[in-house]
Amino acid sequence: MGSTTSPSPSALPESKAEAAKPTPFALLWQLTQGYRGLYAVSIAALLVSTAVTYIGPLIVGAVIDSVLAGKAPAADSLAGYVIAWLGGVDYIRANLWWPPVVCVALTMIAGVFSYLKGRYAALASDGIALRIKDLLYDHLQRLPARFHDKAETGDLIQRCTSDVETLRTAISTQVVEISNATLLLLTALPVMLLLDVRMTGISLVLIVPLMLFGTFYFAWVRDLFLEVDKAEGQVTRLVQENLTGLRVVRAFSRQNYEMEKFAGPNKLYRDRSIRLLRLMAWYWSVSDFVSLLQNGLVLFAGVWFIAEGTLTTGMLFTFLIFLNMVLWPVRQMGRTLTELGKCSVALVRMGEILSEPRESAPKPTAEGNTLPDFRGAIEVRDLAFAHNPAAEHAALNGISFSVQPGQTLAILGPSGAGKSTIMHLLVRLYDYTGGSIRLDGRELNTLDRQWVRAQFSVVMQEPFLYSKTIAENISLGHGASVAEAAIQEAARAADIHETISGFPASYATPVGERGVTLSGGQRQRVALARALLRDTPVLLLDDAMSAVDAETEGNILRALRSRHGRRTTLVIAHRLSTLAHADRVIVLEHGRIIQEGTHAELLAAEGLYRRLWEIQNAVEREEGAAGDAGDGAQAGAQATAPMECLEVGR
Amino acid sequence: MHDTSQVDAVSDKLDFSLWTRVFRHALPYRRHLITLAVAAVVIAFCDASFALLTRWAMDEVVATGKNTDFRLIAGAYFAMITTFSLSVWIFINAAGTLSHNMSHDIREECFRRIQELEFAYFDHRPTGWLISRLTSDCDKLGRIIAWGSLDLIWSSCLVSTIAIVLVVLHPTLGLLVLSVVPALIWISLIFQRKLLVSSRETRRFNSMITASFAEALQGLRTTKSLVREEANLREFQRLSSQMYDVSLLNAMQSAVYIPLVLTLGSVAAGLALWYGGGSVLAQTLTLGTLVAFIFYAGQFFHPVHQMAQTLIQMQGAQAAGERVLSLLATQPGICDSDDVRERLAAYTAAPSPELAPDGHEPDIQSLTFEHVDFAYTADKPVLRDFNLHVQAGQTIALVGASGGGKSTIVNLAARFYEPTAGRILVNGRDLRERGLLWYQSNLGIVLQGPHLFSGTIRDNIRYGRLDATDEEIEAAARSVNADEFIRALEHGYETEVGEGGNALSTGQKQLVSFARALLANPRIFIMDEATSSIDTETEQLIQRGLQAIFRGRISFVIAHRLSTIRRADRILVIEKGRILESGTHAELMAARSHYHALYTRQFESERTEAILESENAPPVAVATATA
Repeated sequence: MGSTTSPSPSALPESKAEAAKPTPFALLWQLTQGYRGLYAVSIAALLVSTAVTYIGPLIVGAVIDSVLAGKAPAADSLAGYVIAWLGGVDYIRANLWWPPVVCVALTMIAGVFSYLKGRYAALASDGIALRIKDLLYDHLQRLPARFHDKAETGDLIQRCTSDVETLRTAISTQVVEISNATLLLLTALPVMLLLDVRMTGISLVLIVPLMLFGTFYFAWVRDLFLEVDKAEGQVTRLVQENLTGLRVVRAFSRQNYEMEKFAGPNKLYRDRSIRLLRLMAWYWSVSDFVSLLQNGLVLFAGVWFIAEGTLTTGMLFTFLIFLNMVLWPVRQMGRTLTELGKCSVALVRMGEILSEPRESAPKPTAEGNTLPDFRGAIEVRDLAFAHNPAAEHAALNGISFSVQPGQTLAILGPSGAGKSTIMHLLVRLYDYTGGSIRLDGRELNTLDRQWVRAQFSVVMQEPFLYSKTIAENISLGHGASVAEAAIQEAARAADIHETISGFPASYATPVGERGVTLSGGQRQRVALARALLRDTPVLLLDDAMSAVDAETEGNILRALRSRHGRRTTLVIAHRLSTLAHADRVIVLEHGRIIQEGTHAELLAAEGLYRRLWEIQNAVEREEGAAGDAGDGAQAGAQATAPMECLEVGR
Repeated sequence: MHDTSQVDAVSDKLDFSLWTRVFRHALPYRRHLITLAVAAVVIAFCDASFALLTRWAMDEVVATGKNTDFRLIAGAYFAMITTFSLSVWIFINAAGTLSHNMSHDIREECFRRIQELEFAYFDHRPTGWLISRLTSDCDKLGRIIAWGSLDLIWSSCLVSTIAIVLVVLHPTLGLLVLSVVPALIWISLIFQRKLLVSSRETRRFNSMITASFAEALQGLRTTKSLVREEANLREFQRLSSQMYDVSLLNAMQSAVYIPLVLTLGSVAAGLALWYGGGSVLAQTLTLGTLVAFIFYAGQFFHPVHQMAQTLIQMQGAQAAGERVLSLLATQPGICDSDDVRERLAAYTAAPSPELAPDGHEPDIQSLTFEHVDFAYTADKPVLRDFNLHVQAGQTIALVGASGGGKSTIVNLAARFYEPTAGRILVNGRDLRERGLLWYQSNLGIVLQGPHLFSGTIRDNIRYGRLDATDEEIEAAARSVNADEFIRALEHGYETEVGEGGNALSTGQKQLVSFARALLANPRIFIMDEATSSIDTETEQLIQRGLQAIFRGRISFVIAHRLSTIRRADRILVIEKGRILESGTHAELMAARSHYHALYTRQFESERTEAILESENAPPVAVATATA
């Protein structure tokens, strides 16, 4: 039962997953590919086990009649065959151990088949669940960023977990249960008819109403189940709100008020649960009563026929056992059918995800979809992009710039100007709607997305760290396994080595809930180390050091320059210290370039860049005006003095 | 969100003292408990009587043939099934009422305890963990006590009744059939335990898979830019195949378990047929009795299965019980002393408008930290020998690196924590001599992440003072400049703020929480990074209202916005739990030390932000400076 038995998700051809939205059952049919055989085996095993189960009571009944009660059955009756098969009345009488042994053996055979039924049903349903989970995971990762911008995470997760579970239970138990009940009824019927037509009729009188009662009852109370869930959700929400607002509650001494507030939903949850149970009490007691009544009908009709001499004790015994075998599954059927209804809803919801198209691949070209010797030249001409084709304002419009291999371009501008969008287009998270981007002269959208992304290292303002160890987080972009020393070197360059060394498990400390909670600046530096270790031709820093203090940023930039002079770098930043060292700076506003040039050129011109540059002087002057001392004369000297490293909480 | 990786162990034996303690919570519902027990016994007897009635009918008809009078037996049968169904109805009602009332009560008690416990209790217990205690654990306990005792009473009663009947009817045959029962119990216990463990494992993997999906979705862009789709999928597949394995294991276990016990049942029936058949032939046993024996042989399985399941579930739920009971048993570390409690009682007996409920003066004039030490964990001191005296009307700004102890100082001032050494005095009297609720009702606190409760804006402001009139609420909103934005909303003050207040922007939430704090008319006002997460515009709105709030009160402000800091009466630069520098803005700027450096850097970043936020507006400071 090792993981080797688990099939790969690619077993389902990709083209099928991308086909037009399938109906729920078409999707189910696709998903069961390769498992239908197992499922058929399971149903066949169920059939055998059910059939074998009937023989036991038949034997016991026949033995009671012919051997113990001394009423030899007609040779052409079912009981007669059974007795003949067991060796005849005389043989059995002399070897009374023989029928019980046969019965036990039959139960064991039925047991083996029942085990096989369970085994193959589980293999099929767990296999299908595994496949669909892997498929969903893979598919979600490969859907375009545009899809994820709109989608709601919580909803997607629910589709991938509880909907899959709904499907799994449906195919592993509910379908099997219904098949079981149906098979029991269908196979019992001919046997019972063969034995005694009257008794069969009497046995079935109340079974149909019982089945209908269950089906309608559960359909009827389903809303109440939902209401109980809702009330429970309310209790959970209130507790959560109270716990997250703990400080507010205490700050206003509202403990008693909170108790009162909690009492309502808590009571509602209790009362609704009790109400539901009251209704269930009716269901169970009524259906118990009907089942027992059915049992009583068979019993008393049976003894009446025995008295008449038209039925034997053994036959009655057989009927009573058969009835008990059928009653329970039939009673359950109503509930099972209701549950099964959820399955098609789940299938539709999963189908919706799977029918979303994945990120497109470029058309294969003669020169291939990669650049074997990419040097890092980026040429952007008249670039245009709109998140939504109908939007009034394009996010980017008429952007042109070029960066030579090894050069640094800085991008400055207010938030919402489109700075990050440029970065996103470069790594093909989105596809540009106009103009061109060329890497070493090749148009970007003729290149393979994954190849492109492997050439760029992006560090975002709010970087994402995986819930793995710090070492893994730094090395996981690298592909191949990385030496500890290389990880530490990258961490040193990102000025985070000291911090990491201070953690209890150093580089092996996990990030997140079960490990350390890193501050914004620390996360940025870990992400930076990750990017540095990848050592790609192009480095993109998207406001990547906003939460790092100025001095640390200076250290990092110095390390960057000394380590890798040849790397093309695009950097979005607000700090002048970062901007000043760029070969070129572009200033963006409302998706357009409004200023462009070197540090010196921009300083010479009126504009945003110069205003930012003048701030430092302004600090000193305002201070001169506000302070008592009025020593404005020294202001110039102070402005450039190195500041102490006193991190401001951000 | 709930603790995902923890799986409760299934302990090896039943902890009787634990269940006795849990059971105490069922005592208020004795009536239901007794009803339930009676119903369980009645049902067990009914269950046991089926085979006897069948036997009776069969033997009667064999003996008397056509002259049999069925009315008596049929009447008995009908009476029995009516009693049975009625008892089913009764026990479901009783067990449901008991179970849900119990979990309701335990939940309420837990909630109350949570309101009383000091902050330190919550520092190492994530919200999700506590939520699970109050929801699933409480439900589990109620369920086990009600349905568990029902099942235990019913099954033990049924098994013993059948055993007695069998032995009475035919001792040898009875013992022969009963010989299977120990094996049945043993197998049931073993498999129930296995099933419980594997189903918990399945759930654990399931929550790991959920977490994995969440991570894939949150880190999507990073994954794409690192080209990690393949690697992620491989990791996910490892997880999903592990889940496949345990889920399969669980299915296999039940696939083996059921046939196994059924086979045991058939062995018992076979023994009855073999030995009983011989006895029938020897005429020492009636046919009806034999049939009853065969029926009984098959009837053991259900109660034994149920009993095993209940016992194992109880063992599995012991961890939950332990957690809930230990939450209930935790005594609040910060609470009124006996002395204070006496004073509070005395005041309740004879209230006086001139005194606070604890019998001391009602006004807070000063707050003093005297040689205060504090540590959240024993090995990491946060404050060392901290001294501070604040008079009403003074505003104290706390600045410095994060982790330096600023928040700790205000947490101590609010008595959310207590000093590990030294003391805090209010009007010169030790804070511990004053009533906790009285003191904390004099606080007004605005935190960095403003927290609102679901409800309307009006409800949220009223949280500051429950008996405030609508006019007072609106007046409070006006004084913090929140009124304007509230009126601009479609439903004004009746706007629903949504869960956690998320229908409003952070700035709007913060304005509401300022109004809430002001409405409480606190004597001590605390702002903990309250303006750091809001935009400049809202910050200016708040700034204008702040002076009104500070007037006449003791105010603590933790902030890095210069406008807030500069107006403070005293600025404390806190580092490593000590005061590094202290003075007014002018004094500290003149000193050109820590504060000066901090201020300069903050000025630069605020100005940059301002320019980038409104790039078209002329840079005011620069313009005036160069003019």
